[in-house]
Amino acid sequence: MTVTSEKHALDAETDEEFRARLRDFLADSSPGPRPKDPGEKVAWTKAWHATLVDHGYAGPSWPREYGGMDLPFARQVIYQEEIARARVPGPLGTGLGIVAPTIIKYGTPEQKERWLRPMLRGDLVWCQGYSEPEAGSDLPALRTTARREGEEYVVNGQKVWCSAGVIADVFFTLVRTGTPKSRQKGITYLIIDRHAPGVTVRPLKDLAGGAVFAEMFFDDVRVPVTDRIGEENEGWPLVRTSLGHERAAGAMNQAATYRRILSELVDLARERGLTVDPLVRDRLTDFEIRVRLIRYNAERIISGILTKGEPGATSSVSRLMITAFEQDLHEFAVDMLGPDGIVLKASDQAVQRGRWLQGFLMTRASTIGAGTAEIQRNTVAEQVLKMPYDPAMPPR
Amino acid sequence: MITGLTEEHEELREITRRFLAEKSSLTQVRKLAESGANRDDAVWHQMADQLMLQGIAIPEEYGGAGYGPVELGIVLEELGRALTVAPYLATVALAGQTLTTCSDNEARSAWLPGIAEGAVIATLAVADETGEIDPAGVTSVATSAGEDWKITGTKRFVIDGVGADMIIVAARAGEELALFTVKGDAEGVRREPLAQLDPTRQVATVNLDNALAVRIEDDATAVLARVADLVAVALAAEQTGGAAATLDMAVEYTKIRVQFGRPIGSFQAIKHRCADLLTEVESARNAAFSAASLLTQDDPEGPVAAALAAAWCATTYTHAAKENIQLHGGIGFTWEHDAHFHLKRAKTSELLLGTPARHRARVADLAGI
Ligand SMILES: Cc1cc2nc3c(=O)[nH]c(=O)nc-3n(C[C@H](O)[C@H](O)[C@H](O)COP(=O)(O)OP(=O)(O)OC[C@H]3O[C@@H](n4cnc5c(N)ncnc54)[C@H](O)[C@@H]3O)c2cc1C
Repeated sequence: MTVTSEKHALDAETDEEFRARLRDFLADSSPGPRPKDPGEKVAWTKAWHATLVDHGYAGPSWPREYGGMDLPFARQVIYQEEIARARVPGPLGTGLGIVAPTIIKYGTPEQKERWLRPMLRGDLVWCQGYSEPEAGSDLPALRTTARREGEEYVVNGQKVWCSAGVIADVFFTLVRTGTPKSRQKGITYLIIDRHAPGVTVRPLKDLAGGAVFAEMFFDDVRVPVTDRIGEENEGWPLVRTSLGHERAAGAMNQAATYRRILSELVDLARERGLTVDPLVRDRLTDFEIRVRLIRYNAERIISGILTKGEPGATSSVSRLMITAFEQDLHEFAVDMLGPDGIVLKASDQAVQRGRWLQGFLMTRASTIGAGTAEIQRNTVAEQVLKMPYDPAMPPR
Repeated sequence: MITGLTEEHEELREITRRFLAEKSSLTQVRKLAESGANRDDAVWHQMADQLMLQGIAIPEEYGGAGYGPVELGIVLEELGRALTVAPYLATVALAGQTLTTCSDNEARSAWLPGIAEGAVIATLAVADETGEIDPAGVTSVATSAGEDWKITGTKRFVIDGVGADMIIVAARAGEELALFTVKGDAEGVRREPLAQLDPTRQVATVNLDNALAVRIEDDATAVLARVADLVAVALAAEQTGGAAATLDMAVEYTKIRVQFGRPIGSFQAIKHRCADLLTEVESARNAAFSAASLLTQDDPEGPVAAALAAAWCATTYTHAAKENIQLHGGIGFTWEHDAHFHLKRAKTSELLLGTPARHRARVADLAGI
């Protein structure tokens, strides 16, 4: 079926028909088992996303002209549920949720044409270069500079903790074009080509031994002015652009994923005869309660959007709830396994390929990456509960 | 899929909240609590006459508004928020829902119209020793005397038992478990108020000594199974309201109390605790609402949702009430401040009608853990 005829079909079909069609597609074109070799895995993931785009099954909230599906919100929710069910690989890089909406909102027609569809297909892998060694939570303290010379910027500085930095083709970054003390008033949003002269990427080993993030150095890197999004010195407001509703629909994906993970943990506990231990049983019950609450919360956020156009207060706290949940869950799994819990995934004695220990280590990042839980609590307190600003913090 | 609240629901909440702000301020709550009353009679009748709150979940044919657990939950959330002193939980959530669940038309028409009108105060007493809605704990014995029945036994922890005009009592009739209505002033009924923690709600020990009873003709086990879920959800809604009120109280105070030259709410040690409480309270609200909505739809997930809401909302309320006192500092520890009323209500409702541990065990059973 061509993309065009599918679009017409979409308008006429019911939600359940849409779900069935998507489910069939995901079953029929499943990308097959995940390769072990990291390079192969990247190619395998890219091929899957190209397939999705080419058949009109990618970018649920994106405009159709850039390869998306432009689904109404309720359908995005169905989409996310089915994607979670199908256990297919997610997109590579960190571009989609963050930079794509920025380009869609602030980009020129040429920029949209050049970057959006390739991003969705996985032809170009994107990575976020916001954080710097001296600018993490205090992002407006960033110091990487961009000096304008004719139709180019000359960029110098260092970025750090860039997820997917090693495999990325393109970086979206924040650079200082104002005075050193200009803070959020002197920040510009630039897209930098990974292969431009003067760019160095150095993988950072994470605490689990993998290399999911990297640091990046810019040494007189020349970036065309046409690769700037928005105006010079006006990059700061762009940082907050996101497809808020897509994120809300994504809450359903998370709820479904954790439901499955918890069920697998309960099965494991039962297989090992541990559910007769009242303490184990009560801890599992605690997760059972929380995983259901995560879904009820997601449903409430979604119904808020559907009925009132706004997600409501639950949406600001659901991330705090989920990140604490996934950390507690994995740590409990490791505890429950006792000494088996410490066996690394590299060992052939590892229980379920060491996934629980790996999860225990990797979820340390849940409350750090994308803004720490502490910063999130500040935001919730100030913006939802309207508590007074901290005078030590920069004005907003 | 759980649907959201409609505009009608928001309106019901708004009207109830406005009414209670006027008629059930914390000053009035304190006055009633200190006088030992179980209600302000005028307010109780206005609730029924002007707002139809007692009849909210009673079918129209019996003079009610014909709504269900979701709407009852909204009213209870507001009553809990205001800490209203009234036998509402007992009359409407316990007795009212038992009668609407059963199919005995005589019992329904004998009592439901009175409850809807606010003319009747009623309650429910199931397990003798624990006050839980647990058939296994029923030890009272019913014997038949022609048309009539006589019940003997002791029901502890009966909510609003002293003031009730009618008590629905569970008892063993031979091999069978059965439900009966017993008039509060019937011969053989002796009621003693229990000296207990929560001054805003009364609890009684009810002694039955060959007390005259009318049998409710129904499958009592099935009725009680459903009622246990409905009551769990109703109480969870009330607890959510209380938790939200204590969080509001704490947040408001942190905005006005100045120490070290700044409002204490600008300190992160305070902010973060409030943000974490909001996470719990928002989840409590969604737990209570989702459970009510699933029970309304007879969704198979209803019972597990009810049990988890009962566990989560109870502990959330107690946590919020304790934090509220802490965030108020010294003033929060005084009798003159209202914070302790919430702590007492929270702890009491956590332990009446089944502890969080009991509800968690039920979640485990139902979820197959
Ligand atoms: C796995 C992972 C992936 C990441 N990927 C990316 C990426 O792709 N691109 C990118 O740009 N960045 C990325 N980051 C960086 C991430 O955004 C930062 O680590 C994060 O914002 C925290 O900054 P920091 O590490 O400098 O910690 P700091 O800001 O130094 O914080 C240290 C501690 O102090 C606390 N703290 C700091 N300020 C305050 C305050 N005002 N109030 C209370 N507590 C405070 C923090 O909460 C934290 O506990 C990633 C991080 C991780 C762990």
